[in-house]
Amino acid sequence: MKKERSRKYRAIQSVRIVSQAGFFGLFLYLLFKTHFTGKDYIGPVETFFHFDPLLAIATAIASRVLFASFALAAITIVLTLVLGRYVCGWVCPLGTVHQFFSFVFKKSKLLKPRKEEKSAGRLAWKYYILVIVLVASLFAVDLVGIADPLSFLYRSFAAAVVPWFARAGGALIGLFYKAGLSSAGDAAAQFLGTLSLNQTFQQGFFLGLLFLGAVVLNMSKERFWCRYLCPAGALLGLFSRWNVVKVRVDMDKCIKCNLCTLHCQTQANPYPNEGWRSSECVYCYTCAAICPTKAVYFPVKKNPEKIASVNLSRRRLIFTSALALVAAPFFKLTPAGKRAAARLIRPPGALPEPQFLQKCVKCSECMKACPTNALQPALDEAGPEGIWTPVLKPRIGYCEYYCSLCSQVCPTGAIRELTIEEKIKVKIGSAWVNKDRCIPYTLGRPCIVCEEHCPTSPKAIKFVLVEAKLPDGTVATQKAPVIDLDLCIGCGICETKCPVMDDPAIYCTSVGEDRSEKNRLLLETIQPAVMTGEPEDPYR
Amino acid sequence: MRRRDFMKDLAVGSIILRCGPSLLAQGTPAPDLAMITGESPAAITKEALAALGGMKRFIAKGDKVMIKPNIGWDRTPELAATTNPEIVKTLVELSFEAGAKEVTVMDNTINQAQRCYARSGIAEAAKAAGAKVPFVNDYRLKKMTLKGEWLKEWEVFTDFVETDKLINVPIAKHHSLSRLSIGMKNWLGAIGGARNQLHQKIDEAMVDLAAFFKPQLTVLDAYRILTRNGPQGGRISDIKLQKTVVASIDPVAVETAAAGFFELRPEELPCLGIAEKRGLGQTNLEKLTVEKRTV
Repeated sequence: MKKERSRKYRAIQSVRIVSQAGFFGLFLYLLFKTHFTGKDYIGPVETFFHFDPLLAIATAIASRVLFASFALAAITIVLTLVLGRYVCGWVCPLGTVHQFFSFVFKKSKLLKPRKEEKSAGRLAWKYYILVIVLVASLFAVDLVGIADPLSFLYRSFAAAVVPWFARAGGALIGLFYKAGLSSAGDAAAQFLGTLSLNQTFQQGFFLGLLFLGAVVLNMSKERFWCRYLCPAGALLGLFSRWNVVKVRVDMDKCIKCNLCTLHCQTQANPYPNEGWRSSECVYCYTCAAICPTKAVYFPVKKNPEKIASVNLSRRRLIFTSALALVAAPFFKLTPAGKRAAARLIRPPGALPEPQFLQKCVKCSECMKACPTNALQPALDEAGPEGIWTPVLKPRIGYCEYYCSLCSQVCPTGAIRELTIEEKIKVKIGSAWVNKDRCIPYTLGRPCIVCEEHCPTSPKAIKFVLVEAKLPDGTVATQKAPVIDLDLCIGCGICETKCPVMDDPAIYCTSVGEDRSEKNRLLLETIQPAVMTGEPEDPYR
Repeated sequence: MRRRDFMKDLAVGSIILRCGPSLLAQGTPAPDLAMITGESPAAITKEALAALGGMKRFIAKGDKVMIKPNIGWDRTPELAATTNPEIVKTLVELSFEAGAKEVTVMDNTINQAQRCYARSGIAEAAKAAGAKVPFVNDYRLKKMTLKGEWLKEWEVFTDFVETDKLINVPIAKHHSLSRLSIGMKNWLGAIGGARNQLHQKIDEAMVDLAAFFKPQLTVLDAYRILTRNGPQGGRISDIKLQKTVVASIDPVAVETAAAGFFELRPEELPCLGIAEKRGLGQTNLEKLTVEKRTV
């Protein structure tokens, strides 16, 4: 038989690679566009999340609310029902990352496909992960963000890859100046400046390692994540049992070389025919393109003779469901539900904590958009289910007064979308003075940097004259800050800019935040009784 | 001297100076200070420079010019926390007309730079006039000997030093610690490092910086002045329309004149006394020729 590869399928394979590159480029474009670009309103940079049916379904179950934007996920579902998992093979940017590195590892012989595939049982893992995520959602524990491919990718990029890029770029610019190429350095510095990349993330190293780990797994098996771990892939796998595009091997042409199955990216097993797993195939067309005798083809058929599928043991399914069922209440043991945490300052527009946790998918869109790097992925601040949810760290950055970008880019409405006019009225916490460390109170020297930076008008930080007893027994009188909690919005700029560098003399806590009734401080009803007439203007 | 007397003297003095010398002789030297009031920020800026003898007096052909406005806050021009963009734009245009090769406008902002540059309107206005409007670049930060009385050395953005001509374009604002934030305070935007620590001796720091940077020209934007909640305000009711531009080669005289807008006597601003003692300029406007008019 004449050995010749199929030109047609090799062309389709090329188109698929172009499609993957295009969608990954789109992902990067939207990622790098997510910052202040000169306009207060940023536009739909987060829309790609809405095409993710796993996020749509899990978030809807966990929060018991349907979010209209997720209607777009229906497109993905219908596409998969009719055609199969094309989205995984042609669109998903994380799939592209894994496939790219699988390709690199294959070419560099770090990954050697083995003939005997004994690991078919592992294909079921992702279905069990899916079951855990969905069952946990039933108990209002939203775990989907941890394992969802888009959340995982965006979080990894926002908190680790992009900061790495910014730091590496900075180091390169430093080299330019050292080499005397100052005009190149200037140009590069200005370019980086316009991208306004956040560089400081308390879990950047850890999240970077996780991402690196996911990439390195491709040395063990091609597209390891997609094969064994991805719950979104599992969900699409369930939808793709009845699709019409099949993979078939023409047994008259087949020379039983097994190349197609050996190089199948997701272990869908195109050879033999009855072994092909419709739910695992991502339609990468590698099998058809690699076949030396043009034996593999993709017929469109309504009814298959027989569907091979991943062997999901009923016993295991029941076991994992029970596991998730038992585990769900454990996530609620944290005191976070009982009492608000002082340092758990959420972004403006964040829903009340229980609803916020049910909706937040830990994607880090808000952290990418934050102009001051203030939003950070939580570790234990919000309990175990709140890992990687956004928390404002005023020592790193503050909430910019005329900015509502985080609320605009949140894909699930965990942060309610706010206009600038709405945002400046939202109170996310309260500021407190630590008089023991405050320069005028304790050292008797001038400061009130906090008052200067307070963005409200009239200012929430006012000053009073206080006497400080100095070590030599003399008394110094200085202007010292006092907080007007009726005006304070908890933005944290006072804490960010406080010149007491290590442990600030003014700091913000979550108490008094608008979103919580439990975490209330001042009862509004008291106010009119206290405030009689116009308060004296302190600035005259 | 009481404020009223001071203002009266200022008015009388300026009338004399306006009419007197021009009647006596032709080709008299330009006044030391120009204080021009009018409806259009651009027109009063042009007039102030014309009164001082034109921009050509300060800028030579082929000069690299740095214009330092206050772009510190994420606020619109209406809120008077940042220098009026039209005034900045006019100065850029005048610099090019005077033969400048390159004009740069920049500031080390307090809020996010991208936001301040955009919302203040300064980036757009200055770029439209042909200026470069870069963000400050930490790699251009260099520890320099300031030889100040308090600040011996500090990190300075070299852009403000490695330039042929330096024009300070502050806006007149209230400030709780230094009482006013005018031109000398504006130099905090030309340096890096832990600026928040300078509050511990703010007046001395301002004077040390002013003595170090020594601008060729100070053009004060007093079109809208911020009378309370400074230095960033936030409400229209915090501002007062003064519709004035004050320009001089004497930075201390400019601040002295500005004090009048806030009904403050020069003695009430400690930095002025320190600056005068250091020989940076004059707090007694009677000793200067002041040109004051309305266009």
